[in-house]
Amino acid sequence: MLSESIWWSSIVLEVFLLTRGVSGHLIFRYPVFYGYISFVLAQSIFRSFVHRWSEQLYSSVYWTTEFLGLMLGCWVVFEIYRVALAAYPGTAKMARNVLLFLFALALAKCGAALWNDPHLLEETTALQMERALRTVEATSIVALVTVFASYSIPFGWNLRGILLGYGLFIGERVICLTFVPVAGKDFWFYAYSASYLVALSLWLGHLWSYQAIPEAESAQLEREYQMIATATQRRLQEVRGQLRKAVRS
Amino acid sequence: MMEFASVIAGAGLLLLLTAAALKGWLASRPLIPGPAGEEDATEPCPEELVNRIFSRTDWDFVHGLRAGGIERLFEQERKKVALVWVRQTSRMVRKVMDEHAQAARQSKNLKISTEIDIFGQFLMLMAVCAILSAAIQLAGPLRLGGLAHFAQRLSQRMSKLQETFRAGVLANAGEAGST
Repeated sequence: MLSESIWWSSIVLEVFLLTRGVSGHLIFRYPVFYGYISFVLAQSIFRSFVHRWSEQLYSSVYWTTEFLGLMLGCWVVFEIYRVALAAYPGTAKMARNVLLFLFALALAKCGAALWNDPHLLEETTALQMERALRTVEATSIVALVTVFASYSIPFGWNLRGILLGYGLFIGERVICLTFVPVAGKDFWFYAYSASYLVALSLWLGHLWSYQAIPEAESAQLEREYQMIATATQRRLQEVRGQLRKAVRS
Repeated sequence: MMEFASVIAGAGLLLLLTAAALKGWLASRPLIPGPAGEEDATEPCPEELVNRIFSRTDWDFVHGLRAGGIERLFEQERKKVALVWVRQTSRMVRKVMDEHAQAARQSKNLKISTEIDIFGQFLMLMAVCAILSAAIQLAGPLRLGGLAHFAQRLSQRMSKLQETFRAGVLANAGEAGST
């Protein structure tokens, strides 16, 4: 009963969100995000049909669509990064390096685990795989938010909503995936499903209508300043060298 | 082990986003000049004043008067002044970092190693200020001369760094304007 009400609420909120996106032309500004919402909506309906027709097929359909959703979710994070840092190449470079470092770290950890146990992949369940991938995604979002906050990147109301909603959804999901039982329904099973409802409500509140990103209009003006700041970086480095000598002396 | 890492990552993300939402870290935060007088408040204190706050000379004089009430009052007042100085220093460091971030975020040639170095200095200074503040609360300013001088030297160097940074910006603005 509770599962069904969560399912129906999600469908209603998704349809509502998409309708607002189309009527407010937000769908053209954040195409990946609305593509993700459309995918999740289609996936929910498709899974429900498959569940009624064939329970044997359901498991493979569930995990295939789940991993497709995960990949699309990563694309949403990329869209946030692209839109938020379009006018800030310095911060964009910083964010790229931080993310590359994190992915290299995750790959190295994965390689080391496979080296220690060659049968690891066969023993890993789809749930564990999803948890591992979502953990990497959560860590990437933490790194991105830290970079955004450190460089005081101005966020519009819409983009802030997308980031907050998706970030909270991933954070909740990672925790729920750790505790959710393989079979049966307990608190964590419902929390896992309901985490998406929280994100949808946040998105609906933040994406009701389009609101411009602050300073986006002055990007042209700031590009002139950019040349100045680049030259200043060199001077900063020189002074840094002097500073280091002075502190060591 | 993996479960633990997942819970930490998930909880970290939830906490960070909650803090971001509550503190407005993801809101538009242009560097708006504060109310009159605040600009002066973020200027570094003269070194003589810092020497005085943390020196034992005044304390020896007050102690020589052999008046318990005056000693207590002196200690309380000196502690307040020292804490104000620490807060002012940490505010100045934050301002320097804010200004740096405002300029660096648009630089195409941003150097990651430089950024990490500057951020490291910022963290070290903030940590020194936090430790100093706690130590003043616990022991009073008179026993902390050495650490205070270290923080003072570093913050003044960061201030000079900021001046050079501003001078560079102005010089280049002039060059850009003349071309």
